[in-house]
Amino acid sequence: MTDPFYSISRNHDFDLSSELHPERTLARLQAQTRRHFLRSMTGGLGAMFLGTLASPSPSASAEELATGDSVRLDLRRDPKTPLTVLPPQFAPHAKRVIYLHMAGAPSQLELFEYKPQLAKFDGQDCPASFLAGKRFAFLTGIPKLLGSQYPFHQTGQSGQWISDRLPNLEKHVDDLCLIKSMRTDQFNHAPAQLLVQTGNPRLGYPSLGSWVVYGLGTENQNLPGFIVLISGGNTPDGGKQLWGTGFLPSVYQGVQCRSHGEPVLYLNPPPGVSSTQRRNMLDSMDEINQQRYAEFGNPETLTRIAQYEMSFRMQMDATDAMDIRKEPESVRASYGSKLGESSFANNCLVARRLAERGVRFIQLYHWGWDSHGASAKESLDIGFIERCREVDQPIAALLADLKNRGMLEDTLIVWGGEFGRTSMRENRGGQVMKFVGRDHNPGAFTIWLAGGGVKPGMALGQTDDLGYEIVKDPVEVRDLHATILNLLGFDYRKLNYPFQGLDQKLTGVKPARVLAEVLA
Amino acid sequence: MTWSVRNPSAHDGFAAASFLIFLVLLALLLFAPPDGIEHAPLLQFVGRFHPLSVHFPIAVLLLVPLFEILGRKRDSPFLLASVDLLLCVAICGAIVAAVLGWCLARGGGYSGPLVQQHMWGGVLVAVAAWLCWLQRLRAGSLGPARLYAIMLVGTVTLVSFTGYRGGQLSHGANHLTQFMPQQLRRLLEVSGSRHGAMNSADESLATFYGARIQPLFEGHCVTCHGPAKHKANLRLDTYAAVMRGSKHGPVIKAGDPKGSELFHRITLPPDDDDFMPAANRRPLSSSDVKLIEAWISSGASHTLAVDATAVVTAGQTIVAEVNFQEIDANAVAKERAAFAPILSQVQSRLPNVVGYQSRTSADLVLSASWLGAKFGDNEIVVLAPLSERIVAADFSGTAITDRSAPVLAAMKKLRQLRLAHTAISDATILELGSLDRLESLSVFDTGVSASSLSLFARLSKLQHVYAGQTRIAANTVIPPQLNGKLVF
Repeated sequence: MTDPFYSISRNHDFDLSSELHPERTLARLQAQTRRHFLRSMTGGLGAMFLGTLASPSPSASAEELATGDSVRLDLRRDPKTPLTVLPPQFAPHAKRVIYLHMAGAPSQLELFEYKPQLAKFDGQDCPASFLAGKRFAFLTGIPKLLGSQYPFHQTGQSGQWISDRLPNLEKHVDDLCLIKSMRTDQFNHAPAQLLVQTGNPRLGYPSLGSWVVYGLGTENQNLPGFIVLISGGNTPDGGKQLWGTGFLPSVYQGVQCRSHGEPVLYLNPPPGVSSTQRRNMLDSMDEINQQRYAEFGNPETLTRIAQYEMSFRMQMDATDAMDIRKEPESVRASYGSKLGESSFANNCLVARRLAERGVRFIQLYHWGWDSHGASAKESLDIGFIERCREVDQPIAALLADLKNRGMLEDTLIVWGGEFGRTSMRENRGGQVMKFVGRDHNPGAFTIWLAGGGVKPGMALGQTDDLGYEIVKDPVEVRDLHATILNLLGFDYRKLNYPFQGLDQKLTGVKPARVLAEVLA
Repeated sequence: MTWSVRNPSAHDGFAAASFLIFLVLLALLLFAPPDGIEHAPLLQFVGRFHPLSVHFPIAVLLLVPLFEILGRKRDSPFLLASVDLLLCVAICGAIVAAVLGWCLARGGGYSGPLVQQHMWGGVLVAVAAWLCWLQRLRAGSLGPARLYAIMLVGTVTLVSFTGYRGGQLSHGANHLTQFMPQQLRRLLEVSGSRHGAMNSADESLATFYGARIQPLFEGHCVTCHGPAKHKANLRLDTYAAVMRGSKHGPVIKAGDPKGSELFHRITLPPDDDDFMPAANRRPLSSSDVKLIEAWISSGASHTLAVDATAVVTAGQTIVAEVNFQEIDANAVAKERAAFAPILSQVQSRLPNVVGYQSRTSADLVLSASWLGAKFGDNEIVVLAPLSERIVAADFSGTAITDRSAPVLAAMKKLRQLRLAHTAISDATILELGSLDRLESLSVFDTGVSASSLSLFARLSKLQHVYAGQTRIAANTVIPPQLNGKLVF
């Protein structure tokens, strides 16, 4: 929208607040359209009524603010500091989250699900009941069962079964809480990733990280509260919506940072522009944005102001936080990190540095787990081995680092993909494929949690002998979300946001279950 | 216009017929009253149409006074003419609704005072409408009709009363005030809150039963098994009634959840016919079920204290979900008020460093690590006035030194202390003997040496000491109290 008024007034340096200035009055009248009138009139009446019902009056006692009768926590903040820390609803177990999303869906049957029966029936036709009424991405006809490609053994005090693909992570198995009975209702990557990350398979819903930062704020005001790091050579299929903010104010969206070079592009002033000059420019823009806000009252304007300010403050802190050269050589070696790479190892190390610096939600994506067997990279016999090698050592090092600093007590780690993989070998086009792979199985997959008030060294849920369907303690994605919010100190029902006539929640409209079994 | 107005013999016939029906209805109510036992499914099937049919006669009856008043205006006498028909329709409708209501109550095993009042109210409405009709015929539609007016007002009142009782039956006794906004509630001085149930007053909140179990029954069961309806002759609104059981015998077998009918019913698969709460009612959550299981297996006692550890360990996981709702908000608010001004001063001086642990607590948590070197001995002094309130403090990576030791030592409620990557040494640690509630301490990457071990050993609550990258050598002899607690 062009607005001649501002350029005029800035050039002539008039007092902007003066209502008497005819040009200003004119501009105001032009900006005020019939739609504005109709909207503020009708909306305003409704809002006055709703205001009396929903929001606690300023004099409301502490109990109403806390849990009491209100359907929603009061998360109002000064619009200029939208990331201020707010206390959770009740005493939290976890203060921050590091979410390791294995994009593409790693095979649970090659990692955590020990199924000797499946190995026994390897190569035989799969039971007809596996196929009835099911939709698959690529399986056709009657596929053959496929035993695990790697040997399993029991390990740790807890005696969990694990394959030989994760020799480093294995040492921490007594810190892990495996959930072997996750299920989803999406069998394609993008919607399934959206479901896992935003609680909804469709676009336009706030991600888990956005909800968490919206609810809790973030300590370090010089860094984003929700940082996203990507490795594996590709953005996950769900795209940037996976860390989008949906209907929440956009200041809560995830900020994607690069793990080498400048973490955020164009953060530092270009050559020839001094920091003072940039400060002056920001001040002027701030002033213009403030006028805009005074005029239209759009909260997104405040978001814009806050983000400009944060990017200015980030110049120092972000560069420092992301700079893994500051870590001793021995630490970098423990992660298997190599300088100048965009790797999962580097991202894990950065994640620890961010966690130490008070970042609330750190989201890592590692792409390349879609082991269909369609190519060497996407196969269980080649690509999968590489993926395991890429993540095994860094995750183990991250757990070790957090543990010896005491941070695992209040840092929740989540590891998992967006669905599982079938017990049958993929037979794209009805052919025996060159590489070994499995198709998507939304019916069962494994994730694990660690730290942050989760019971260590346990496994929840069970699948059938062929690892295809859940037979005990099914866990929906919304149950996982409710549990994560619970660990952070929220009743998932009260962390909601009114939008389109519904009190929108991360867990959606269906009732969710906090997994009491996994709480320490 | 209508048959009833023009034809006197039809009048008599209608009057007599309705009178006869009233007698039959009366006999039904007296000799086959709803007795809390479920009868023929056919009765229930027919009875389920009661809610469907009941609103029509109500609406018609409410039209009668409206037409009477409007009809007296000069230009709308036709309204007056239709009152006669309206009344007849209302009588028929009321009779049908009453009969169906009886089917529902008798067939569905309803009983209790609310059911009685609603039932007799419904019959009386039909009778009152009939009497109004007779009186109107006698007095003529335009004559002096004071008696008729009084009767009409009485009928409408009766309709409202009966309808209200019906609402209570299907939506709970406080259905009108349950979701009343707080403001209006205060204005009308309506007591109770959305969650407050009617009967909890007589159950002590200090007992496990009163605080944990009774609220579950009230939230999920008493609509059908309570003072209003007692289906299967089971009431779950008092402890005595719970233990008395249903028409089939006791539903709770103390110490044996699996043998208790109540527990059996709530743990059936949700699609089982016998599953409780019955179809379409909100089922109990898994932690609720565990709570009930724990209560029964501990002996289903009425007097067991609310914090009895035996029960809590049996139900383990209930703690996480139940805990936070039991907090006394007023006490917290009062406690907070004592230091709120200091807190807001500190918060404006050092934003995002110190805050309440939760919205339901007056404890404070402190996190200075994100400030790094910008936080040091001069800044920690700002926090000193709040030190006794702080339960968790993170100074990792800050510039604090041994000079801050007195401030740390004053944080007597600390359960978690993080001093990783700081310049503190044994001098600080040896001053922390006052932190007898400390459970977790991190001195990772500090100058702390083996001489601090004796102090760690003195802190009886201490569970974890993170002592990697310190001067404590891995082969140091550690005191037996610290076995398995040191993390390197």
